[in-house]
Amino acid sequence: MLAPQLIGISIALPFIAAVLCLINVKPLRSALVIGTGVVVSVASLALVQSGAISFTPESFLGINPDGLIAILDFALLFVILGIAYRMKNKLIAVLTLLQIVPLAFLELFMNPGENMGPAIYVDQFSMIMCMVISIVGSLICVYGLAYMKEHEHHLKLATSRQGRFFFFMVLFLGAMNGLVFSNNLLWLYFFWEVTTFCSFMLIKHDDTEIAVKNATRALWMNMLGGVAFVLALVIFRSQGLPLSLQEIITAEPASKLILLPVGLLCFAGFTKAAQLPFQSWLCGAMVAPTPISALLHSSTMVKAGVYLVIRLAPAFAGTVFSNYVALFGAVTFLGAAVLALSQSNGKKILAYSTISNLGMIVACAGINTPAAMAAAVLLIVFHAISKALMFLCVGTIEQHIGSRDIEDMRGLINVMPRTTMVAVIGIVTMFLPPFGALLSKWMAVEASAHLPLVVLMLAVGSALTMVFWGRWLGLLMTSVVPDKAPLAESQPCLIRLPLLALAVAAVLISFVAPGLYSSMVLPVLERFYDTDLYIAARGVISNNIGMFALYPVFVVMTLGVIYAVRASSSKRLIKRGNYVTPYVCGLQDPGDSRKLGFKGPLGVWADFKTTNWYMESLIGESRITGWINLVAIGILIILLAGVF
Amino acid sequence: MDFKTISFVILAIILAPLAGGLLAGIDRRLTAWFQGRFGPPILQPFYDVIKLLGKEPQVVNYWQIFCVHIYLIASILCVALFAMQADLLMIFFVMTIGAVFMVVGALAVPSPYSQLGAQRELIQMLTYEPLLIIVFVGIYFVTDSFKIADILAYDRPIFLALPLLYLVLTFALTIKLRKSPFDISASHHAHQELVRGVLTEYSGPYLAILEIAHWYDIVLILAICSLFWSTSWIGLVILLAVTYMAEIIIDNVTPRMTWKWMLTYVWAVGISLSFFNMALLYAKSF
Repeated sequence: MLAPQLIGISIALPFIAAVLCLINVKPLRSALVIGTGVVVSVASLALVQSGAISFTPESFLGINPDGLIAILDFALLFVILGIAYRMKNKLIAVLTLLQIVPLAFLELFMNPGENMGPAIYVDQFSMIMCMVISIVGSLICVYGLAYMKEHEHHLKLATSRQGRFFFFMVLFLGAMNGLVFSNNLLWLYFFWEVTTFCSFMLIKHDDTEIAVKNATRALWMNMLGGVAFVLALVIFRSQGLPLSLQEIITAEPASKLILLPVGLLCFAGFTKAAQLPFQSWLCGAMVAPTPISALLHSSTMVKAGVYLVIRLAPAFAGTVFSNYVALFGAVTFLGAAVLALSQSNGKKILAYSTISNLGMIVACAGINTPAAMAAAVLLIVFHAISKALMFLCVGTIEQHIGSRDIEDMRGLINVMPRTTMVAVIGIVTMFLPPFGALLSKWMAVEASAHLPLVVLMLAVGSALTMVFWGRWLGLLMTSVVPDKAPLAESQPCLIRLPLLALAVAAVLISFVAPGLYSSMVLPVLERFYDTDLYIAARGVISNNIGMFALYPVFVVMTLGVIYAVRASSSKRLIKRGNYVTPYVCGLQDPGDSRKLGFKGPLGVWADFKTTNWYMESLIGESRITGWINLVAIGILIILLAGVF
Repeated sequence: MDFKTISFVILAIILAPLAGGLLAGIDRRLTAWFQGRFGPPILQPFYDVIKLLGKEPQVVNYWQIFCVHIYLIASILCVALFAMQADLLMIFFVMTIGAVFMVVGALAVPSPYSQLGAQRELIQMLTYEPLLIIVFVGIYFVTDSFKIADILAYDRPIFLALPLLYLVLTFALTIKLRKSPFDISASHHAHQELVRGVLTEYSGPYLAILEIAHWYDIVLILAICSLFWSTSWIGLVILLAVTYMAEIIIDNVTPRMTWKWMLTYVWAVGISLSFFNMALLYAKSF
């Protein structure tokens, strides 16, 4: 099939399927969600076959697409205004008006279509994004089918609200696909606002007091970004520039005039990517059902923010502004990693880890070398897969054990062996070599080496990352071997399938990372950079300053894992029941040596309990968030001042 | 890969544990001498490990076995990658695999001592990891590369350009060697509050494997130290001998400290030293 048709399917099908999901019938809904997922996934894969392509669709169902988008834009903004009115929220109302008025001015008086060029521009970067959105996003939606059934069962609702739920979930995928394919900034803005609106509706899905509160916060923070976006468009037009993303990137480098609106667009990206000090909306989004968190955190929403910043990076290459962006991203990376360290709430850890990773991606865009850009694009992919996997695991675990606290996951390997093993894969692919996330981190650190302050923050942040993942990994195993084999864990098929698919993808795509880089990332980079590019040959990724021997490490560690599994499951060495109890200085129960605990003072029996140490008193969330925000706001101000 | 590289790798894999064990033996002898004792034979570490290997395996759960093997393989791989003159930063990240799994193995046992030791071990890793990255970045500043092959091709001893960063590296070495004042997660002296900390629950052949992996690690860190004077064998040997001697002396004259002191002290001093050294480099380039 031709590329334009595939692109049309990727955008339009989710929109249509979403509307049909509103017909709240279960079999239809399942068919729609699974069917749409399969079709857009296949379309995204098929799209890779074609090269970079740009075009302007002449009409959409007989309507002029520019006009359609403009109408929908205003419709959406007025819907949000209506919501603000109903919630009596002045802030959101003002922020909406601040978008409606300039946008109307722009549409009516500033001739937005001048010298537009193609409205759709698709290169390998868009294709990568499309694959992440369509495949990972769809898997999350499919998981949602099984999850929401259980979720609503607990809530004991009279009528199911899943129709609305899947309307926004599926719509989100379409909007994201539209966002990454749009070259016309007005189109991009429309899809941008759709994702803002969808995330608001999804976060408040459960309609509890806290959900509404957090959703409102997410809305105003993202609307703030929206205002910056519209403002940037107005400034572009007032300078006589076309509202075309590619025109702006390839315009005269680093001209002062262009830097201000580009800075505003980056600001919009930062709000969407929940960079410090805007992290609170993404953490607040945790109140929503887990598929929503997974969707917002991995393949959509926040990735839209970093997508825009990466897209714009060539426009500010070599400026002071660029260095500030790097610093800003590094502060987010470090700050969020510190906050993650203080958390025992599993979803919070994942949330801060997401923000931290996004910070690294933003930092890479600021470093603005080919190595850094490669790191940024690869990290988007690998982070999306592993993070989606982790969220789905935590969701499954939470529905089973009724807690998302990682302390309650101690010894989970004996309770939910299957899910735990998948979670182990998720954690390991997140922070250890030879997996992709670490490969990107390696690239980022080497690329930042000429910026001492940035590399210092990346170094400290990456050590913190290692601590909070490492101890989570460890406590999943904390157990003594039970006398009887634990019961096999039952998993519904719609839960097992996405988990397995993502786990396999996390490992497999790390393995094909060199090929992914050569075929998908390199062509994009070659447009803007001609030196210092990474070359991937025979499984080794190298440039003039470093090389990562991916395949040797992969092969040795795979053999190592096989060997270690054989060694640890060897029947010859130890039979079940032959395991010993932990050492307690000889104070164990003399009668039953398998009993955990020891005889304390005065012969009183004491069960011991160990927990991770979260350093609440030092780096507790409430204690340091204020300071971290203060630093971030400071850098943000300097950064935005850097455009002048 | 040519024949020379392969033979280097094989030699490194065979010789590294021998060198590590020998070093541990010499270390014990010298320490004994400082303390006015006679000390064990130099080959005692090998006797210990051989004896441990022959013991009956005893574990609380199978994750311990899995984790020690991963630790050993990661450590061997690091040494092999060093012999292949690969990328320093990559070797560092591969080293974290081993370090993390060693901790995971300790965390896998619900024992107060190994749990506490594991938490402390994580803080030790948190302390030295950024410093190692900074040292590698410093080396990159001087040699324009992270690849060991290029670093070896640099025609002057890096030490002369990065004396302060070398000090920073020795912090990391002290922590890795589990020497005072940084032996907070597993002391050599098994008579304190956390028994042997992170190592408490490893025993018999698995403790032996851990010991061998540890030898590989030590050799790797010393090999990184040796990069600082790679232009002459004499300079290299003197540098390493002085460094190790200093480690033993510091071990004997300092008490164990708390993790908080370690983290703040090492980060503050290490990061300041690094920045002084960087400033020095910038000043020189003008």
